[in-house]
Amino acid sequence: MHFVAMNSRAVNSNVGLNCYRENIDEMECEKMALLQIDHIKKSFGELEVLKDISMKVEEGEVVSILGPSGSGKSTLLRCATLLETMDDGTLIYDGKTAAESVDGRAVYASKQQLGEIKNTYGLVFQNFNLFPHYTVQKNVTDAPIHVQKRSRAEVEKKAEQLLKKVGLWEKKNAYPYQLSGGQQQRVAIARALAMEPKLLFFDEPTSALDPEITAGILKVLKQLAMEKMTMVIVTHEIDFARKVSGKVVFMDGGLIVEQGRPEDVIDHPDNERTRMFLQKLEKQ
Amino acid sequence: MKRNKTKRRALWGMMLVILLVVGMVSGCGKKKTSELERKQFIVGFDASFPPYGYKDDNGEYVGFDLDLAQEVCARNGWELVKQPIDWDSKDMELNSGAIDCIWNGFTINGREGKYTWSKAYVDNSQVVIVKADSQIETLSDLAGKIVIVQADSSALAAFTGADATKENIDLAHSFQTLQQVSDYNSAFLNLESGSADAICMDIGVALYEVTQRGSGFKVLSEEVSSEQYGIGFKLGNVELRNQVQTALDAMEEDGTFAQIADLWGLSGSICLGREGTDTAYLQDAGETENSGSSLSGVIKELAMGMGASLLIFFLTILFSLPLGLLIMTIRRSKIWLLQWLARIYISIMRGTPLMLQLLVVFFGPYYVFGLQVSAEFRFYAVILGFSLNYAAYFAEIFRAGVEGIPRGQKEAAFILGYSNVQTFWKITFPQMVKRVIPPVTNEIITLVKDTSLAFALAYTEMFTIAKQTAAAQASIMPLFVAGLFYYVFNFIVALAMERVEKTISWKIV
Repeated sequence: MHFVAMNSRAVNSNVGLNCYRENIDEMECEKMALLQIDHIKKSFGELEVLKDISMKVEEGEVVSILGPSGSGKSTLLRCATLLETMDDGTLIYDGKTAAESVDGRAVYASKQQLGEIKNTYGLVFQNFNLFPHYTVQKNVTDAPIHVQKRSRAEVEKKAEQLLKKVGLWEKKNAYPYQLSGGQQQRVAIARALAMEPKLLFFDEPTSALDPEITAGILKVLKQLAMEKMTMVIVTHEIDFARKVSGKVVFMDGGLIVEQGRPEDVIDHPDNERTRMFLQKLEKQ
Repeated sequence: MKRNKTKRRALWGMMLVILLVVGMVSGCGKKKTSELERKQFIVGFDASFPPYGYKDDNGEYVGFDLDLAQEVCARNGWELVKQPIDWDSKDMELNSGAIDCIWNGFTINGREGKYTWSKAYVDNSQVVIVKADSQIETLSDLAGKIVIVQADSSALAAFTGADATKENIDLAHSFQTLQQVSDYNSAFLNLESGSADAICMDIGVALYEVTQRGSGFKVLSEEVSSEQYGIGFKLGNVELRNQVQTALDAMEEDGTFAQIADLWGLSGSICLGREGTDTAYLQDAGETENSGSSLSGVIKELAMGMGASLLIFFLTILFSLPLGLLIMTIRRSKIWLLQWLARIYISIMRGTPLMLQLLVVFFGPYYVFGLQVSAEFRFYAVILGFSLNYAAYFAEIFRAGVEGIPRGQKEAAFILGYSNVQTFWKITFPQMVKRVIPPVTNEIITLVKDTSLAFALAYTEMFTIAKQTAAAQASIMPLFVAGLFYYVFNFIVALAMERVEKTISWKIV
């Protein structure tokens, strides 16, 4: 496991806010980003996976990260969710600094601060990672009750509402092994939403599923987008990205090569690499 | 429906056991060796009783008895097989025909009628010599007298040794002094000069000395201790006994016997051909009498031992499972030193025999640290030894269980904000338990059987009792009953574990 080691050296937690105050006249900081990533670098041994990545996610935005295998998009997501420690760069969630670049190295905030920051986002895994020994209901309610210390009654009401939304309320007493892949993924989404995050990450949410089941997940994501849920989706599927997202980021070789509205990046790519990648996918 | 199935399976298991037992018992009755075609002569001995039979510095089995046996075999045209045996199992060895005789400084006294005996060939009796004109006639006359023994002799041991009888200790207390001298010559000088009243010594030496020194001395007819060695054959096996005895008698006649005795420094002790050495030899019960071991008696006795076995079992489970969890955690530690300590611990516990570990735990405190251990420590040592050993196995099973859990489980717990402690107890531990039930069941079943190893520390559990009962009754039946007890116990354990497995209704995705 290479989760972010909770660093003892706490950094100034209000960098984002300072930026906001100091540059109040600048457009960039006027609307505070929910997630701000600056100059992230990450290597595995000799292999430089993330060369220099900067991006922002505004509240209510749905961002898809596209790119070929090995482009670094999954590593970017793992760094952003603190599953991986980045080498250098700054990471700010909703004005709270998770990591800051100091002398070319990423310095992480205190354990307590990171704990608070983790409350602002959720992650839906590619292979769901539901807890097999918990029922659907307990998968959804356990962390809100025992981590966030919310009242059981409130959490259970919320779980009911979420499970109904993803169409699995009648499966609340089932164990994950009794569910199909698509059903498991919808429970995983409900589990993440039960934590009431401001931002939800999706790591290849449909690549472990059959194409016909993907439609069900897409429906759930579209509904979330309509409810102004901020989402960052790492995906292979162009179609999926086009239908759901308001912004597309195209990555290759550890760099962001192009970003913008889906109709621009996908349908009229400027970059040669993007064009080749899209062509390859279309042929399949 | 399901209940029926379990019941039926239990029934099948029971029938199988009964079949096995019946089959083995009936198979045992048919054997009968013919004495006509004897080629080998298998001598059972303890291998730790010099000079009669022991292992010498070269690792060879040697001794007076084995030399005699060799000569007997040579005269009968047999091949001698020297078979070291566990002394506790000597009767089973003999009765089953695995050995032909027990020939190992085997004391006749007290065992008359239990074996078919050769004539006594060594006499270790201790007798008292006084002057021919002494008033001393019986042992009680020695009260207030000065008695001489040789330093470091059997006679001294008979009065003050660890095995001395109460009568002899009391007798020694009645003396004015029990004086030690370095050799018999000075002993006789003391006796002659009147500075001592009596000498106590081996009967063989006494008879020799008295003969040598003329009529000035006499041997009291009452013996201090009476111990004669003979060769023990299976009760009723007169034919073989006679063959051996004939050869021995011939050896006595032509001097070979005395020669061999001289070789082992036992000239003073041999008594073959002397009068009164054939009482046990002449006392022959024709047929093997069954000591009448009742099945219900055996079951009752073993059931009591079962309590001790169960106690070992449950306490070991109680301590070794949590200890295994702790060791597993240390083994998985990121701290290099801790991880290696756990590795070494597991390596030693798995790499050495449990019986050896039990011995080290029990005797270690005394031999290593010079600590005097209390009587209850025997029990604690058994539990401690078992728990330490099984914890090592459990630790590795648990580790396999934990490492088999997909990494995504921990990642999901991390993202959901669970603390490390919460992640272990809520996510990792329950999933580990599910994965380790089959291998843990294996270990638990092995533990049931391993409780019998407690006999290494002379802790009286079922197997110890079974073995003792089998030896006392010269019957293998108690061992079968013990086997049945173990089997039934394990059958219940397996059923219980199956039940546990079923109560965990979720499945790994």
